[in-house]
Amino acid sequence: MANVSVAAEWQLLGDRYYRKPELYRPMRWKHIDLSRNKVACAPFGGPIALIRDDSKIVQLYAESALRKLRIFNSAGDPIADTVWKNPGGRLIGLSWTEDQTLVCIVQDGTVYRYTIHAEPLKPNFSILGQEYLDENVVECVFWGNGVVCLTDTCKVFSIADFKSNDPTPVRLADPAPVGIEELPHCVAVIEPQYTMSGNVEVLLAIGEEVVMVEEDEVQPLPLPPGDGPLQKMVVSGNGRFVASFTHDGRMAVYSTRFEKIFEYHCEADENLRLIRSSLPEAVEACVDAAGHEFDVLRQRTLLRAASYGQAFCSNFQRDRIQEMCKTLRVLNAVRSPEIGIPFSIQQYKLLTPSVLIGRLINAHKHLLALRVSEYLGMNQEVVIMHWACSKITASLAIPDAALLEILLDKLKLCKGISYAGVAAHADKNGRRKLAAMLVEHEPRSSKQVPLLLSIGEEDTALMKATESGDTDLVYLVLFHISQKRQPLEFFGTIQARPLARDLFVTYARYYRHEFLKDFFLSTGQLQEVAFLLWKESWELGKNPMASKGSPLHGPRIKLIEKAQNLFSETKEHNFESKAAEEHAKLLRIQHELEVTTKQAIFVDSSISDTIRTCIVLGNHRAATRVKTEFKVSEKRWYWLKIFALATIRDWDALEKFSKEKRPPIGYRPFVEACIEADDKGEALKYIPKIADPRERAESYARIGMAKEAADAASQAKDGELLGRLKLTFAQNAAASSIFDTLRDRLSFQGAS
Amino acid sequence: MAQIPNLDNAPLNFTSLREQTQKELINILKNIRGKKCLIIDPKLGGSLSSIIQTSLLKEHGVELRHLSADPIQTDCIKVVYLVRSQLDLMKYICSNVHNDVSKGLQREYYVYFVPRRTVACEKVLEDEKIHHLMTIGEYPLYIVPLDEDVLSFELDLAYKESQVDGDASSLWHIAKAIHKLEFSFGVIPNVRAKGKASVRVADILNHMQAEEPVNSQDMVVPEINTLILLDREVDMVTPMCSQLTYEGLLDEFLHVNNGSVELDASVMGVQQEGKKIKVPLNSSDKLFKEIRDLNFEVVVQILRQKATAMKQDYTEMTTTTQTVSELKDFVKKLNSLPEMTRHINLAQHLSTFTSKPTFLGQLDMEHTIVEAQSYDICFEYIEEMIHKQEPLVNVLRLLILFSITNSGLPKKHFDYLRRELLHSYGFEHMATLNNLEKAGLLKKQESKSNWLTVKRALQLVVDDTDTANPNDIAYVFSGYAPLSIRLVQHAVRSGWRPIEEILKLLPGPHSETKRGRFASSTSFDTLQGASANIDKVADGRRSLVLVVFIGGVTFAEISALRYLTAQEGMAYDLIVGTTKIVNGHTLAETFVEKLG
Repeated sequence: MANVSVAAEWQLLGDRYYRKPELYRPMRWKHIDLSRNKVACAPFGGPIALIRDDSKIVQLYAESALRKLRIFNSAGDPIADTVWKNPGGRLIGLSWTEDQTLVCIVQDGTVYRYTIHAEPLKPNFSILGQEYLDENVVECVFWGNGVVCLTDTCKVFSIADFKSNDPTPVRLADPAPVGIEELPHCVAVIEPQYTMSGNVEVLLAIGEEVVMVEEDEVQPLPLPPGDGPLQKMVVSGNGRFVASFTHDGRMAVYSTRFEKIFEYHCEADENLRLIRSSLPEAVEACVDAAGHEFDVLRQRTLLRAASYGQAFCSNFQRDRIQEMCKTLRVLNAVRSPEIGIPFSIQQYKLLTPSVLIGRLINAHKHLLALRVSEYLGMNQEVVIMHWACSKITASLAIPDAALLEILLDKLKLCKGISYAGVAAHADKNGRRKLAAMLVEHEPRSSKQVPLLLSIGEEDTALMKATESGDTDLVYLVLFHISQKRQPLEFFGTIQARPLARDLFVTYARYYRHEFLKDFFLSTGQLQEVAFLLWKESWELGKNPMASKGSPLHGPRIKLIEKAQNLFSETKEHNFESKAAEEHAKLLRIQHELEVTTKQAIFVDSSISDTIRTCIVLGNHRAATRVKTEFKVSEKRWYWLKIFALATIRDWDALEKFSKEKRPPIGYRPFVEACIEADDKGEALKYIPKIADPRERAESYARIGMAKEAADAASQAKDGELLGRLKLTFAQNAAASSIFDTLRDRLSFQGAS
Repeated sequence: MAQIPNLDNAPLNFTSLREQTQKELINILKNIRGKKCLIIDPKLGGSLSSIIQTSLLKEHGVELRHLSADPIQTDCIKVVYLVRSQLDLMKYICSNVHNDVSKGLQREYYVYFVPRRTVACEKVLEDEKIHHLMTIGEYPLYIVPLDEDVLSFELDLAYKESQVDGDASSLWHIAKAIHKLEFSFGVIPNVRAKGKASVRVADILNHMQAEEPVNSQDMVVPEINTLILLDREVDMVTPMCSQLTYEGLLDEFLHVNNGSVELDASVMGVQQEGKKIKVPLNSSDKLFKEIRDLNFEVVVQILRQKATAMKQDYTEMTTTTQTVSELKDFVKKLNSLPEMTRHINLAQHLSTFTSKPTFLGQLDMEHTIVEAQSYDICFEYIEEMIHKQEPLVNVLRLLILFSITNSGLPKKHFDYLRRELLHSYGFEHMATLNNLEKAGLLKKQESKSNWLTVKRALQLVVDDTDTANPNDIAYVFSGYAPLSIRLVQHAVRSGWRPIEEILKLLPGPHSETKRGRFASSTSFDTLQGASANIDKVADGRRSLVLVVFIGGVTFAEISALRYLTAQEGMAYDLIVGTTKIVNGHTLAETFVEKLG
C-alpha cells in the first residue's frame, strides 16, 4: 500500500474528501461467500455474524444441510458458532445491539438473542403482541438498540430498547387506513434520538408515496412527483437525510421531511489537496493524520515527520506526539487480525478506553485487556474480575484448591478487588467450596458476611461479623440464623458468642419478649427470667385497665412471687429474692391501706413514702405496722417521722417524739426539719440539744443567730469555722458576699 | 445570639465538616418534592440544633414535628421521618403508620436513618408489615462540632449500652466517625488507647483502614498527629465529682443542652411572667470564651473587676471632656455590655445554688471520698442521704464514687445500702441497682482497692491549688486533678510506657500503635518536646492531638485540656471528641430504670 500514491486514495464527495481503506486483506475466513448469507456487522469494529440465507436457493457444497450461525471478528477470525435450530420459520433479520448482543428475528416474530460467543440469551420473547400471533414478519429494520418490524398485513411493531429489562413491543399506527393490497416497497427508520417526539419514526414507501408512521399517527410526506415508487431508502447517520433509489435508477437525497436536496452523479475528482501552511499547523496535521491512519508504516512516517518538525516549533505541545503514540499503540494492538477490532480513532475516542476494555474482556482477550489497562493507567479490577469469573466457568475440571491458587495468583495483582464478587460467581457455578475459600480472602466484612450467609457458612459469617465490630452485620447474621435454625440450636449458637447474644437480647427486649424468656430459660439464666417477670408486673401496673386497688393486683403479685422463686434458685441472687418477697408484701399492705383509707395513693410508692403518708394522714398505727413488717431501722424511722411531722407542722407531736427517748440520730434532724418547714422558732427548741458544738454553731448560723453561732464555734475551738462564720455575717447583705463565702468553702485546703 | 457555634477559629476545618452535613440534609429534603411533614426524634433534633437553623428547614417546605406515639397531625401527604437507628424509636413509627392505615389515610412515608439504616430497625418495620410502605434512606451524621475544639458523636446512651447491655454498636459508630475525619485530615499516625472499649475502637479503626483505606499516597503530613482514646470506665471518679469551673457549674445546675441553657426569663433580667429563654453558650461569645474554663470563684472576681472598670469609665465619661478617639474606645467597650450583663446574671443565679449548705456539704464529702481516708464518715453520710430521701441521682453519684474508690463495698454494707435504697426510693430500682452492678459502678468488694496507689502515683490530690493562677489542672475541681486528664498528660508527653504499672491498676487493657506510613518508623516513638518540631504542620501551626472519650466527657475535663493546650512548652493543640457531654447527673441517670 505504501507504494501507491497516498493522495490517490482520496475522493471528493460534496465538500469533503473521503477514502475507503482496506483494513484486512485477505479476510482470515475461508470459503465465505457473502451473497449466500445473511450478514450482520456490528459497528465500531465489532463482530460479524453470518448465517446461510434461507430465502435464497443456494447450492450446498460439502456442508451440512443444518444451518450454522457463525460469528467472526472484523478480521474474519472465527469467534464461535452454533447450529441454528430455532423454530418460528424463516430468519427475517439479524443485527447487533450497542452492547454487542446479536438479535435475530424470525417469521413468527420470535426474537432470539446471542452473545458474541454464540451462547443463547434467555428468555426469548415475541415482537408481536399477544393478539397478533398469526401475523408474519416480512421485514425488520434495526437501529442502535431497537427494531421496527413490518408484518404481512402491513402492521408495524417496534421495540425501543432490547437492553431494558422488559422489552415490550409497541404497535404503531397502521400505515394505510384501508386494507391495502400491496406491501410497502421499502422501509427506513429515523432513530428516536433524531425525532421531535423522542419515539421512533418509520418511513414507508407505499405505492408512489412515502408515509411517516408514528405510534399514533400516519403522515404522508411530500415526495416530488415522478420520484416514486422508491425502491430503497437509507437514513443518514445524523438522521437528517434520506438517500433513496427512485424507480428509474436515480439516487435522490431528501431531508427527512422529503424536500429534495440534490441529485448526484458520481464524478471522480482526484486533485491533490495542497497544504500550504505554517509549520506548527503542519506538525499538528501530521500528528492528526497519523491518528487517522490505519497503516502502521504510514503512522510511523507521519509521526517521524511531526517529531522532526516539532523541533523547530517553540510552542508546540510536546506531549501531543507522546499521547498519540500511546493511543496508536493501543489501536494497532486491537486492530491486529487476531483481535480484529478495527477501531478508528474517532470511534475509540467516542467509545472511551473503558468501553474498549469491556469489549476486549467480553471477547475473552483478557491478557490484552490487562496490558492495555495497565498501559493506560486504568484500574485493572474489571479485567481481573472478569477473567477470574470466566476462568471459573471454564475450569470445571480443575479441583478447588488448584483453581484457588491460580485465581489468587492473579487476584492479588489488584488491591481492593472484590473477592466476594468472584466467590459469588463460583457459588453460582455450583462451586460452593471454592466460594468459601475465596470469600475468606475478602477484606471487606460488609461484602464478605452476606456472601458467607448465601453459601450457607453461617458460623463463619457470625465470626467474621463479630470480628468486624459492625453490629449491623451481626444482626444480619442473627436474623438469618434465627430463621433457619430451630430455637434451641439458635440459642446454643449465640450463647457461645457474647456480642451476638447481647445484641439478640437487646433486640428481643423490645420486640420478642416471649422468645427472650425461652432463651434465658433454655440457657439456665433464671435470674434474667425473674427480672423479665418482675418487669412484666410493672407493665401490668401501668395498664390503664388496672385501676389502683383493683383485683389486678392479684396477677401482679403472682408475677412478683414467681420472680422471687426464680431468684431464690441461685445463691447469688439472695438479695433480689428477698427484695421481691418484700415487694410482694408491700403491694399487699398498700392494697389494704387503700381499701381502709379509701384513698388510692399508696400502691407503687416506696416503703419510706408509705410510712410518711401514713404519718401525714395521722395513721400512726399503720405507720408503725409498716415499720415492723419491713424491719425499718430506728435511724430511718426517726428521719421519716421527724420530716413527716414537720411537713404537717404538728409541732407538739414532734416535740413529744423528740422526748420519747434519746433520738438515735441526735437532734440535728429536728433542727433541719424545722428550718425546712421555715419555722426558725421551732428549730431553736432543738439547737441547744445538739451535742457537737460545731454542728450547733452551724445550726445557729443557719437561722441567723450570729452571736450564738460564734459562741458555739469558739467553744469548739475551731478558728477556721469561726472565721468563716464571721465572714458570712459581715457581708450577709451584699449579694456579692456569697461569692466570698464560696471561696473558703469551695477550696478543699480549708476543709477540716 | 446564634446557637450554632462559630467554628472559624477551629484548629481543623470544622466548618467544611458542618457545611457538608448541612448540605446532605438539605439535599434529602430537596429530593422529596413539595410540602412535607418532617418528624424528628427529639434527641436528634437537639443535636441538629447545633448544625442547622430550623428556619432553613422550613424554607424547604417542611412542617416540623417531634416523634411520639401520638397520631401524626398534618395535612401533608408526604411524611419524612428523620430518626436515629435506635430500636425503641421504631415502635413510634409503627404506631403512627398503623394509626394512619386504620383511618384510611394514604400517605407517602420516608424514613431516613441516622447515621445509617440498620437491619434490626428495618426488621421491626418488616415484622409490623409496614416496611413496604416506606422509602428508606440514610443521613450519615456521625459527628457534630459543638465548638472550636469539641466534636460530639451524639451517642448519649453509649456508656450504658456498652457497659450494661453489651451492645457495642456505639464503638463501630465512633470508629467510623474517626475514620471519616481521617478522610478529611489524613491517617492519624499514633493511636494510644486505654480501656476495653478504646482498644476495641482502635481495632475497628484499623479494620476500617484495611477495608476502605484513606488514600495515603499524597504525602501530606496528617493534620492530626495522635489519637488518644479513653474509656469513661477508666475514670468514673471524675464525672461523679461536682465540677467547679464556670461552664461545669452551669451544666451541673442548669443543664447545658446542645450548647445552651434554658432559664426563666426573669433570671436574665427580662420581665416576662413564666417565660423561658435559651442562652447560647459557646466560643462565639468572647467573654464566655475567656471565662468558661476558669474556676467559678475567679469568674466572680473577674466579672466584678470588669463591672467596676466599666463604671469608672462611665463616670469619667460624664465628668470630663473627651476626645473623639476616647469616645470611640468607650463605645467599643459598651459593645461588650450585653455579654457582661448576660454572665453577671448567670453567675448571680449560679451562686444561689453554690451557697447552699447542702452543696457545700456534698463538695466536702466528695473530697473526703476521693481522699479515701475516712470510710465511716462517708458511709454514714450516704446512709443519711438515703434516709432523708435526697434526690436519688445525688445519692447514686456519691455511692458510685464511694464504691469505685473502695473497689466495691464490703458485702454487709453493700446489701444494707441497697436495701435502704429500695425501701426509700421504691422496688423499681432493683433494675437500677442491677444496671449499676453490671457496669461495675456499685458492687461487692472482692479485692483491695488500688485507689490510694493510683491517687498518689498520679498526684490526683493537689494541695495549695491557687485557683486564680493555677499551675496544675487540679484547679478545675479546686484541688482534685481529674484522673482522665492526668492520663492524657502522660500519653501526650511520653506515651504509655512510663506509666504502664499504673495503667494496669485501672480497668481495661491499653494499647499503643503506629499507623499508615509511620507504621514501621521509630523516630516518632515519643512525642517529647524535642521531636515536636517534626510534628509541626508546615504553616507553623502546632499539630493536633485528638482526645476521644468513650462514654462522655465533662466540661471541667475539657477545661483542663484547654488549660494544658494554653501552657508554654506544650507541643500540641488538644481537641476533644466525645460520645456526649456528660456530668455525674446525666451519667448516673442513664442507669436509672424508669418503670412504674
